[in-house]
Amino acid sequence: MGAIFDNLIESRAYSIRLCTNMSSRDQSAAADLTPLSPAVFHILLSLGGGERHGYAIKREIAARSRGKLKLGPGVLYGSINKMLDLGLIEESADRPDAHLDDERRRYYRITPYGRKVAQAEAVRMRELVQLAAARFGVPRHA
Amino acid sequence: MRDTPFSLKLYRWFLRLYPAGFRENYAGAMEREFRDELAESSGVWALAALWIRLLADLAVSIPVQVSREVFQDLQYTLRLWASRPWHAGFAITALAIGIGANTGVFSVVNALLVRSLPFHEPDRLALLHQFIPPHDSAKQFHDWRQRSTYLTDAALFEENDANLGGMRVGSRAHVAQTSWNFFSVLGTQPVLGSGFAADEDVDGTGWGLPGRNALAVIGYGLWQQLFGGDPKVLGATIRIDGNQLTIVGVAPPGFDYPGKAVLWKPAAFSHGNNGWGIIARLKPGITWPQARAAFAVEVERLSPKLGGIDNSNLRPSITSLQDGLAGPVKNASLMFMGAVVLVLLIACTNVANLLIARTADRAAELSIRSALGASRARLARQLLTECLLLSFVATLAGLVIAYWTTSLAVKIEPPPLGAQSYSILDGRVLAFTLMVSVITALALGVLPSLYVGRIHALRSRSSSRTRGSRLVRQSLVAAQVMLTMILLAASLCLGRAFVHLMGIDRGYDVRGVVTVSVSLDGTTHQMDKRQLPYFEEVLDRIRSLPGVRTASATEFLPLYAFGFVGGPFGLDGRPAKLNSSMLPILSGYFQTMGGRILYGREFTEAEVRSGAKVAVVNERFAAGFGAPEDAVGHQLTIGRETPWKIVGIVKGMEYETDPTLANSNQVFIPSATPGSFFSTFVARVDGRAQDQLAVIRDAIQSVDPQVPVFGVKTMQQRLDEVFAGPKFYRTAVWFFAGFALLLAVLGIYGIVSYAVVQRTQEMGVRMALGTTPVRLRGMLLRQGLLMIAAGAIPGIAGARLTGRFLESLMDGAKPIDMAASVGLVLLFALVASTSIWAATRRITRLDIIAILRTE
Repeated sequence: MGAIFDNLIESRAYSIRLCTNMSSRDQSAAADLTPLSPAVFHILLSLGGGERHGYAIKREIAARSRGKLKLGPGVLYGSINKMLDLGLIEESADRPDAHLDDERRRYYRITPYGRKVAQAEAVRMRELVQLAAARFGVPRHA
Repeated sequence: MRDTPFSLKLYRWFLRLYPAGFRENYAGAMEREFRDELAESSGVWALAALWIRLLADLAVSIPVQVSREVFQDLQYTLRLWASRPWHAGFAITALAIGIGANTGVFSVVNALLVRSLPFHEPDRLALLHQFIPPHDSAKQFHDWRQRSTYLTDAALFEENDANLGGMRVGSRAHVAQTSWNFFSVLGTQPVLGSGFAADEDVDGTGWGLPGRNALAVIGYGLWQQLFGGDPKVLGATIRIDGNQLTIVGVAPPGFDYPGKAVLWKPAAFSHGNNGWGIIARLKPGITWPQARAAFAVEVERLSPKLGGIDNSNLRPSITSLQDGLAGPVKNASLMFMGAVVLVLLIACTNVANLLIARTADRAAELSIRSALGASRARLARQLLTECLLLSFVATLAGLVIAYWTTSLAVKIEPPPLGAQSYSILDGRVLAFTLMVSVITALALGVLPSLYVGRIHALRSRSSSRTRGSRLVRQSLVAAQVMLTMILLAASLCLGRAFVHLMGIDRGYDVRGVVTVSVSLDGTTHQMDKRQLPYFEEVLDRIRSLPGVRTASATEFLPLYAFGFVGGPFGLDGRPAKLNSSMLPILSGYFQTMGGRILYGREFTEAEVRSGAKVAVVNERFAAGFGAPEDAVGHQLTIGRETPWKIVGIVKGMEYETDPTLANSNQVFIPSATPGSFFSTFVARVDGRAQDQLAVIRDAIQSVDPQVPVFGVKTMQQRLDEVFAGPKFYRTAVWFFAGFALLLAVLGIYGIVSYAVVQRTQEMGVRMALGTTPVRLRGMLLRQGLLMIAAGAIPGIAGARLTGRFLESLMDGAKPIDMAASVGLVLLFALVASTSIWAATRRITRLDIIAILRTE
């Protein structure tokens, strides 16, 4: 009986476990995360070109997909939140010149792991494209 | 733009639906983007398109984010539990017992008192108790019911066990004879054929008139069992106690009123039959209070006409059918509901106490998390998630306990109707469980969450933060002491009532008595009026068995007080003040049962065989006319019957199980036609009575295999069965009280040992200044006992109130007296002192130097 309370009281080793998978990230092969959702892949593509804030990412994706992929703010920041947890991207402390910047904006950049994952996704897509080309041929004007 | 503020406000409101963690990080950016997009979209259509896109986005992303955070909280909780498995296991067990017991008992309460009966408008159906309207003839009864001012209809019924023909071995079935309108009063239509028609109930004795009322509606189960569900069953005959009845209908499945009956036949009314029960339906527009008032007037008006019997000990009443059926189980189940609610409350206070202790223990971690940006709401929700998970797991485990509780309840107090089965798989029961589970979680979570709020506010590690939580925890322990006290007092109350019940001098000795019942109804022995020779032959065989000392038979066995026959017996023409029960027996009955003959003797075999008019009366009857011994040789009289000569006075036998009805007048006469309805052989044997059961049963069956033999039990088994209910209540309440005491001890131990840890430095300083460890422990003991006293004093007051409540619920229960209250407080003080002393043993091992060095 006493053991319950002694255990309770004496265990004063406070451990803080943040809810990220930082440790497991390195072991897991980048390919394990593929296939990526279109939103995640497009965000990685955008950040591959340098640091961006959320709104800039969104506009770039819309432009790249010729308006076909318009990420709503909830989906965009939901994806960013998840990618931060997975360690694909990180928040950047560097800010552009103060007069160009809005303090409330958060900037993100791709991590080396994020690059590997994006590469793995590209490889996966290339294999798909090659397979499709072998089966159906590639038309001159898509 | 006029819309801007409104659109922004609306969007802000939507953003609040995201979980706190996500909102803190991204709400600002999202709002900022919204402003940008809003600025870019000009015109109503663009604005509408923007909102459509945004709403779709919100609808997709909010559920994803919420479930994500909840999942994280769950993971975190499971890790926490894994690091302290004892702690989690204890909390889950305590809550599971609390929730499980509540669910189990509620399923009984629900079946008996809440779920409506399977009849038409069941809340308008009434049972009339201890009152029978005019019933000497069918016309008399039907005239009465048609003239009633407050009843739209009423039906009489009489229940009996009877011999069922058509089975391979002689078997018994519960049957009812009813006035013809029985099914229409209940509003039940047979699934096949019809109920009875007007005038199919007749005037006559016994089974009535062949050709007029030799009809039957059979139960659905019996139809399946005997006729394989054949729809051509109508017109077939069935033999009951040797009478051929023509089947006119089949009752719907599950219909078994009254008393699990399987067959109904039209009644035969005869003068002097007082075995009727009465069910009625209130007139439309008549309320229950109006019905009760009208009933009281009617009882007043009719009672002088009811045969001149002394009715002073009758308490006629009208109740709803549901209450009437629940009867004594109603009180017991309500009492139980109270007990299990207390148990759950105690379990909740205890687990809340543990959670607060652990939250205090984690204060540093929580302040760091909060400093890292976790919001107060986020931390509180994490705690609440833990409580919900705790309560959810406990509920799952509790359902197993509940299932076990209900199956136990079915054995102890079977429901009066098949349709009232106790089941936890009932919408209302499951909703109740869910509600209990959620309330438990909130009750557990609210105090620790408040505490988290304070940590967040202070963001410091000063020692003052623990003082408030200590006060809260001490109050919780005091509350727990109070609730436990009430439960302990209730268990003491019921325990005493039970000891009293079992300790009553019943006037016979149960040890070494074997009982076996037979019924001769419908057998050749009854047809040929040769019941007595059959009994004599059986008794000869039993008596010749090795190990059997004496044997006899009776038409009524003690503890089975139903279907009694009796009346206003008197001595030499002077009537007794109270009615007497008439108990037909064979010779050697008192010797076999271990009864005590005070004066005179019991019947001889010759007297029974010749049908001599002799009687034995109990001491109480005789004492009503002067000195008991003087009654021997006098005449036992009733009406114009030939008087019996009293040959013996005996210590009465306790025939009733209800102590309030005990000690009535009893008149024993020789049984002339044993085996009508049924009679029971009794035999006193050497050695263990169980070992002789089979031998005696076989000896009885060897005389005539066609005679149904049942109730093969020792007298001790019968006693145990009859008192299984009270015994179970006592045991269960003792278990709950013991469980509560254990929880209280754990609570006290926990808070005191926690206090020792919190105040280690203070203790070290005091010891350095010369205080001995024993004195320090004494100081903590005093403080701990103050906390106990704070709970014990209201506890005693609550216990005495509970005692009064129990007194009104259970026969024989009395509120605890002063001595018992003091005893309880002392017990508690002793248990608490022991656990405080054990919790402070750490003090003796304190290293003063090490403590002072850290200062």
